[in-house]
Order: sequence, then structure tokens, then C-alpha cells
Amino acid sequence: MTKETEYAIEVEKLTKSYGDLLAVNDISFTVSKGEVFAFLGPNGAGKTTTVEIIETIRTPTSGKVTLLGMDVTKKKHDIVPRIGVLPQGFNSFDRITVRETIQYYSRLFCMDTDIDGLIELVNLKDKTKEQYKNLSGGLKQRLGIAIALVNDPEVVFLDEPTTGLDPHARHEVWEVLLGLKKKGKTVFLTTHYMEEAELLADTVAIISKGKVIAMGSPGELIESTANYLVLTLKPVDEKVLEIVRTIGFEAVFDSHKNIKVRVEHTYDVQKILNAIRDAGALYLSLDVRKPNLEEVFLKLTGEALREDSSEMVAK
Amino acid sequence: MNLRIISANLVVKLTSFYREKTTMFFTFAFPIILILVFGTIFMSQDNVEYHLCVQDLDQTNSSAQAVKALELNGKFKITRVDPAINAAQYVRDNKVNLVLVIPKGYERSLVQRMALQDFNASVTITYIYDPSSSSVDTKKDILNAVLAGINQKMSGKPPFIRSAEKSILARKYRFIEFFVPGIIAMSVMTLSLFGTVDSDTELRQKGIIRKLSTTPITRTDWILSNILYQFILAVISTTAMLLVSYAVFDVSLHIDAWLLAFILLDVFAFVGIGMILTRFVKEAQSAASATNAISFPMMFLSGSFFPIELMPGFLQKFAKTLPLYYVNEGLRASMVFKDNMAALRSSAIIGVFAAVVFILGIVATKWEEGK
Repeated sequence: MTKETEYAIEVEKLTKSYGDLLAVNDISFTVSKGEVFAFLGPNGAGKTTTVEIIETIRTPTSGKVTLLGMDVTKKKHDIVPRIGVLPQGFNSFDRITVRETIQYYSRLFCMDTDIDGLIELVNLKDKTKEQYKNLSGGLKQRLGIAIALVNDPEVVFLDEPTTGLDPHARHEVWEVLLGLKKKGKTVFLTTHYMEEAELLADTVAIISKGKVIAMGSPGELIESTANYLVLTLKPVDEKVLEIVRTIGFEAVFDSHKNIKVRVEHTYDVQKILNAIRDAGALYLSLDVRKPNLEEVFLKLTGEALREDSSEMVAK
Repeated sequence: MNLRIISANLVVKLTSFYREKTTMFFTFAFPIILILVFGTIFMSQDNVEYHLCVQDLDQTNSSAQAVKALELNGKFKITRVDPAINAAQYVRDNKVNLVLVIPKGYERSLVQRMALQDFNASVTITYIYDPSSSSVDTKKDILNAVLAGINQKMSGKPPFIRSAEKSILARKYRFIEFFVPGIIAMSVMTLSLFGTVDSDTELRQKGIIRKLSTTPITRTDWILSNILYQFILAVISTTAMLLVSYAVFDVSLHIDAWLLAFILLDVFAFVGIGMILTRFVKEAQSAASATNAISFPMMFLSGSFFPIELMPGFLQKFAKTLPLYYVNEGLRASMVFKDNMAALRSSAIIGVFAAVVFILGIVATKWEEGK
């Protein structure tokens, strides 16, 4: 029996282990209908395992997962037509064109999909006759998103939709995802890109080593876990670091030789700048801002989200 | 089972195949090339002319006549070797495999035997040969037969045992007619086995199977569309092989429903084996090795290229355990001998085999990702 609930997804005490390895460790969360929910965490945190259990591809070791009111372990047949999936590392048939690929997946769902509408949504109008193997990474992902939408699903799963793309291609995919958000679809997004979660998500769950360690809107998360400011200085000479430390602030160099200082109040900034001026030292520029999700994540887990993460913040 | 899904899958498979021009060329051309090459080699076997080097050390009229007689026999094209040179050296230097040496005193012995009726008089013809040559034994056999004929004639008495031939077939059965059904069986096997393992491993590695498992397509739809796809390719390939065989070699092969039945059973059996292999083989490269390990013994030992009677006894027993042997036998029974009972027997055996491996294949096919 399908029961209607306000939640699109309900996960209760979900655990998944592979032998001794505990990939997902007793996690619980809910995703409301119509919201964009981001699962944020580094590689190997358990994001894909969780999302694949919800998508009915994997079976949980224990716990209960309900999708649109249906138990995912028992109702695969009923669930599949109502969800759309962009799997991690999406791939398709090399020699089949963009239009043919969308047509193929729409036939699998026995749907009369508005193929032109989908092509327009993912902005692939000029590429309809291009074979899959000739598409760039960004175009492939956009085709993958179109395919995830062929059955006009109620819940869309996007597993790392922009991983491996260059910044330009990533922004183009984000454009498509913002369009999706406007349409009011429930979207379950996994990502290890902070900007992606901040830009798109209504709710972010931070997952690390198989556990959800924080959850809330991006603003709430920043407010509750990182209630401080970050001052960034571009110093002329290295003396500046010493000066800041002498007056009692924690300061470090980041990988670009910028000095990052964690401050509690705006008047601390004035205090630091005065000390530098009094000591006769120079800096080229300064920036004061609230911490972002990246810093929230670092504070919560002590680990970087991506191996290429360059920012190091004074804690 | 959903026909719309099966046909969608079939269209994608056939379109991909059609656009892979190289794969398409080799899939269809390879068996045709085999038929053309082997057909040409064996078609002329009946009127083959061997090259024979003769060194006449006697240099008399009689010895010259003997050489002429060998030439007129029609089996040999004669090259005369200078009596002054070393015949063994000649074999090595000129890369010939045999020099027949007529000894000095040939005419004298011949006169003694024929004119003086001295039955102790004889000559020894020597074959100086290279044993590493594969055709030298056939050449020696033919020469021995020719010499035996000459001896028999010289005795002046009619032979006691004569031989006669009576074929069980209305017309003469040629090697190419044995060969074509074997190549059909073999190429359908290769198509189905490699087709299934290659495409399934590739799709699994690329994650396409994972994507498909989040759509309504079921394992049954997937397998049925693969069977249908392999069957269509097999029928196209077989038609091409038969057309070439008729056009080039004017083969006389009987075509009826048995042909389609054996192609279908061949497809089922080897798609089944392919599905079982795919279950255990993860990488595309090891998939290729595994399929080769299965298809090679099958190709060479099951009688696709030559009759298994040519092989030692234990290998013949082994051949009879190979599924492809029964496809070969069945196809030949129907296409060459028009023997429905024999075809039925073979189809029963391969049918049971196909059913078993196909069911195992279905069970082995993993649709969902790791549980």
C-alpha cells in the first residue's frame, strides 16, 4: 500500500556494511517534497551507497528507507517509474545520438516524453544528432540529466553531477539544475562541491565516515557551527603574521600565501589593522567574510572535502 | 516481458552495430574469407599437380622414357636435375621437398629383366626428401602407387583385386560442402559468445547496467533482446556465407527449417555460456581471454574445420563432449546428407545443453549492483 506523506524520502537508522567495512552507519533523515536536498561529503563517506539504497539498486543491511511512502526493499517495481536517476560516472551507448538516447530511455519507461522540451531544458539543441562518444564531459552530464527526467519523475537523484567537469562546464550544469529547482522537483543531490550545495540546496546533510554529522539549510549550518568571521590579508612582508599573532589572534598562511585570521567580531578587524599600521607593516588587500560550508565542513570533520581543496583556515 | 522495451533495446543494439563499421566488416567478412580461402585450397585438390624433381643418373633412352611416363601420369610437373650435382644439396639449396633419383644401370637392368627374363634383375629408385615438409608424404604415397602400377604392368598379368567406388550421395560430396556447415556453426558460436561477453562486460564496466537497473527494463527483457539481436546477426551472417558459397563454389547444400533451428540452438547455447562467463569475469581484458579459452578448443576440436575422424581416439571422445560438435553434426546431417533422424538426434542433445546453460546464464546474470 502506498501511503501519502509530506516526505519524499524517509531514512530511519540505515546501516550498510560490506564485510567488516561499515559504509553507512545508522543514519536517519527526511527529505520533504519539492526541496533540493544535498548530501555533502568527501569521497568514500557513504554518499553513493546511501543514494543507491534509496534508488533501490542496493539493499540495506538494516534500517528502513521509504520513498514516496513505499518501502524501497519491497516496492522496486512501483518506485522505479516514479524516480529519475543520474548515476555517478554516468555513461551511455557510444554510437547512439543525443536524441536517440533520450528516445531509448523514454521507450524503456513506455512514456511519450516531450523529447524536444527535455533537449531544450538541458540546452542540447545543437547537439541532437551528435553521437554520445563525441560529447564533452559537461554535455554528457547534461544528457544524463535529461535522461533522468524522461519519465517526469517525482524525485530526481543526481549523484555527483559535476564531478570531473571544468569550472565552465560545471556552471552550465548548475544552470540546468537551477531550472530543475524552479520546476519544483524534489531533488536528491550528492556532491563534494561546497559551492554546488550552497547554490542549489534547501537542505544540506553533511556526511562523514558513514554518519550524518550535521544537517540544516546552508545558512543555519554556517550560523550554528561557524559563528565567526574570516579575515584574509594579502601581506607585503611576512612580519604581518607575527604582528597578528602577537596581539593574540590565531593566524595561518593558506596555500596562496594569504594570511587567514579567525575573528569573533568586526571590531577585532579594526584592532588587527591598527596593530599592523602601528608596526609599519604593509598589506595589499583585505577581505572580511562569513565562513562558507567548506569551513563548516572542516570544523566539523577536520578533513578536507576534496583532495584539491586548497583553503586552510585557522581554527 | 515487455515487447516495447525489447524492441527499443534491439534498435539500440542494431544501430550501434551498424555504426561500428569495422566490427561489422569483420563480423561478416571473417567467415566469408575462411570459406573463400579453404574452399579454394581444397576445391582444386582433386586435380592438383605436384612439382617433382627427377635426377636421371642413367642418361639412357629407357631412363628418359621412365621420366616421360611419370610426366604423362598427369600428377606431376617434372623438373630435370643435372646428374652431375649432389641431389641432397639440391633439395636444401632449392627448397624442394623431394628429388627422385634414377640410378645408373637402369637400362641395363631393364633389358636383363625384360629381354633376358632375369627376374632377379631390379633397380632401386631413391627418394631424397626433406621430412620436415608437410606434403612430402602425400607425394611419396602417390609415387609409390605409380611405381606399383608400373611393376604390375611389367608382370604382364591382370590384377586380382580391383576396387570400385559407390558414393552414398547422389552427387560427389566435396570438401567445401563439409566445410560450409562447420563454418556456419563456428561463426554463430563466435558471434553469440563474444557478442554477449564483450557487450555485457563493457556495459557493466561503464555503469550502463547500473543506470538501466533504475528503469523499468527487467533482466528477462534484457536477455531476450540480446538473444534476438544475436539471432538476427547470425541469420544475416549465415545468409552471406551461403550466398558466397553458392556463387563461388556452386555448393550443393540443402536448406530447410533445420538450418534456422540449429542457428537458434547455437545462439541460445553460446549466449548462455556468455552470460555465465560475464558473471565471473569483471574486466574487459580477462573477458576476452575467457571467451578465447572456450571458443578455441571448440573451433578446432569439434570438427568445424576437418572431420574429427582425423584426430586421435581420445581427442575424438573429447570432441563428442563439446556442444559445437552437435551443431556441426546436425547442420551436416540436414544440409549435406538430408538425414532428418540424425539432425533430430543432434538437435535433441544441443537443445538440452542449450536449455541448461541458458537457464544457468539467466540465474547468473546480475542485474542489480552489489547487494
